[in-house]
Amino acid sequence: MEIFKVKDLNFKYALGTEKAVNNVSFTVSRGEFVTMCGATGSGKSTLLKLLKREISPVGDKSGEILFMGHPIEDMENRDSAAKIGFVMQDPEQQIVTDKVWHELAFGLENLGLDNAVIRRRVSEMASYFGIESWFEKSVRELSGGQKQLLNLASVMVMQPEVLLLDEPTAQLDPIAAADFIATVAKLNRETALTVIISEHRPENVISVSDKLMALDHGEILAFGDTRETVAKLTGNARFMEGMPAAVRLFSGLNLKGACPLDVSEGRRFIEDNFKNDIRELPKKLRERSEEKVLEFKNVNFRYGKDLPDVIRNMSFEVRKGEIFCLLGGNGSGKSTTLALAAGLKQAYAGEIRVFGKKIREYKAGSLYRGCVAMLPQDVQALFIGDSVKEELQEVKFKPDMFPFDLSPFAERHPFDLSGGEQQLLGLAKVMAAEPRLLLLDEPTKGLDAYAKKEIAGVLRKLKGLGLSIVFVTHDTEFAAAVADRCALVFRGEVTSEGETRQFFSENNFYTTAVNRMTRGFYDGILRVREAEEIIHLNGGH
Amino acid sequence: MTEYSEYNPIVTFVYFLAVAGLAMFIMNPVLLTVSLLGSVVCFCLKRNKGEKANVLIFVGLFVVLALINPLFHHNGVTVLFLINDNPITLEALAYGVTASVMVISVLFWFRSFSALMTGDKLLYVFGRFSPKFSLMISMALRYIPLFAERSKKIKDARRAMGAYEEENLWDSVKGGVKVFISLTGQSLEKGIITADSMEARGYGSGKRTFFSRYVFKKKDGIALVLILLLTAAVMAAKMAGVLDFSFYPAAEGELFSVWAVGAYACYGVLTLLPLMSEITEREKWRYLRSKI
Repeated sequence: MEIFKVKDLNFKYALGTEKAVNNVSFTVSRGEFVTMCGATGSGKSTLLKLLKREISPVGDKSGEILFMGHPIEDMENRDSAAKIGFVMQDPEQQIVTDKVWHELAFGLENLGLDNAVIRRRVSEMASYFGIESWFEKSVRELSGGQKQLLNLASVMVMQPEVLLLDEPTAQLDPIAAADFIATVAKLNRETALTVIISEHRPENVISVSDKLMALDHGEILAFGDTRETVAKLTGNARFMEGMPAAVRLFSGLNLKGACPLDVSEGRRFIEDNFKNDIRELPKKLRERSEEKVLEFKNVNFRYGKDLPDVIRNMSFEVRKGEIFCLLGGNGSGKSTTLALAAGLKQAYAGEIRVFGKKIREYKAGSLYRGCVAMLPQDVQALFIGDSVKEELQEVKFKPDMFPFDLSPFAERHPFDLSGGEQQLLGLAKVMAAEPRLLLLDEPTKGLDAYAKKEIAGVLRKLKGLGLSIVFVTHDTEFAAAVADRCALVFRGEVTSEGETRQFFSENNFYTTAVNRMTRGFYDGILRVREAEEIIHLNGGH
Repeated sequence: MTEYSEYNPIVTFVYFLAVAGLAMFIMNPVLLTVSLLGSVVCFCLKRNKGEKANVLIFVGLFVVLALINPLFHHNGVTVLFLINDNPITLEALAYGVTASVMVISVLFWFRSFSALMTGDKLLYVFGRFSPKFSLMISMALRYIPLFAERSKKIKDARRAMGAYEEENLWDSVKGGVKVFISLTGQSLEKGIITADSMEARGYGSGKRTFFSRYVFKKKDGIALVLILLLTAAVMAAKMAGVLDFSFYPAAEGELFSVWAVGAYACYGVLTLLPLMSEITEREKWRYLRSKI
């Protein structure tokens, strides 16, 4: 049974100059799990939204979209709302009501169903998703991952035939993201639900998807069985960015044939094809400066008198010119640590020193003048103007201070920029106060691989200018790529800390995919590039 | 067992409306004494464990309210004594005491009311009248705290980039305005997502229904009829003038006529409904448990 049949679809935004969707035709059958991949701006989101009539963008559209044999324009309002489910990226903003149970019922209320039916469906969905224990809760009390699961459940309760998901895990930490994808995969497997998901980090979903659709500039570059499509795309650097490490390695080595998709396939592939006479890359020794820029000594913090400690006996130090990374799970206290270092929260015990001076002794904002600056997790909190130019004028930004050229965006509205561009704009604003210590809270959240690379480049250049940088992240790959030193925060304490390569080599799980893939075969390999290098050193193929 | 709080919210709502409303509009010493006793019993049944009854505060309030009236009103024929040549009369004192019994009892009814009628339940009661209104309230309850959180984030973000000054009043006002501008921009931008999310789930596709987790059971119907009958009886007595009692210039009115006593009894039963339902439920539970 064909769920969607799209024929010669073209779309141009009302104010756009180029086609956002260009001559697209494809069909999706019942029970298929289809992943759409492509860089930001490739047209994934637009295409997905065109499939859902209620939120279709405004512009010139031609071509045909058939849902179960009928044009979507001809569907009954209520059918269209119920049968095509849509989950968006932002977990917070999709939620409409204040209570979990009410949110679950919201769609069914809109359909005009009576109380008994709503009661049955809501309770059924809540028990299937395992959200009985937070059924009565306020939405505010939920974590990001729970919010996104709630969004999924509130769509599923309407019993859709097909589920469209627009980068649903972009705002989640890796564990919540994996949980979410597992739930969608389970729905697909157990109820023959058709799934079309767009992902700029397809590594999370590739192992569960039946088909892969590669989009570039609004066109379908390849569409078909996941493994075959991946094989077709190897060598295409643009698409490789977001692919699993095994695929990137395979592609980087310019090989043909069966491509490994995940860590275990990658491991087998390496062991079967390459030698390991040389197990390590030559080490580059780096001198650590003696000057301490940030120092935590037995710091304790809690949010209220009667609440438990969030930060307990936290101690670490960051030296001048270092990029220092704090890793850790949700609620481990990473972000709180950063807020303490930025003077936004006050510790009740212990000592925090910034450039050798106690943080309490910085009076009346002197901490933020030529000293410390922080980029918040939500960079949009920094935006106040109608254009990038205005934003930069607000802080008297000097372009020569910042190693990234923002002038091409000068006239754009800050909210119209892509996630990566917003992040860079935020960084530029924060840099205007000429800080010597830069604090970043999850700088890669929601970004695609390309944008991450860009941010990594900018951070390295800032380091070159003599800045010290501390950042918090969930993203082990990003940490391995830019950090000089890493620390693991667990329950408000730093439990391990070290030079990046050593730090990850000593971890078994909390490390990069390449490291997990090469562990015990090669030593201290963290990144795809390094894996390629050592394979070449060992004589290659 | 919290049997009483498990009645349908409409029953609970009507009950408190009736029991407190009657106390507020009938200035009859006996009836108000009954109301005070009933409200205290009901409060003790329902009060949360951690919450203290604050007996001292209420006793203090009672004394103050009772004394204010005779100090400022000097009507009445029975003079007790003089303060600064102003007569303090028995009638004014009696009126003060009665009024403060009324105030204290109504306060206690409201304390029980707020303990029992959670936001969900109130929403359910008002949602009956207008599903749109109740959705609006529910969305407001979601978004107001979210905005507060967001403005805190903006303020922190601006402070940590050196753009939020609060050394003098003028700077902090300017800072506040900027936070507000940023918050508005962000919220409008993000509001589009919420609107999409609503429409994607069929908002506006036709007439909405209103889901509630509360069912109107037979026992709710019985309770509601009982409450309305008792209320009607007391109101009828009031209309007929049976419960009239005036304090000035001299106390006048028969407090214990047959009809009046009947009305007190009706009101007494009304105030004790929570206790009675609690006891029957407890007995039922004891009986059921004995069979486990």
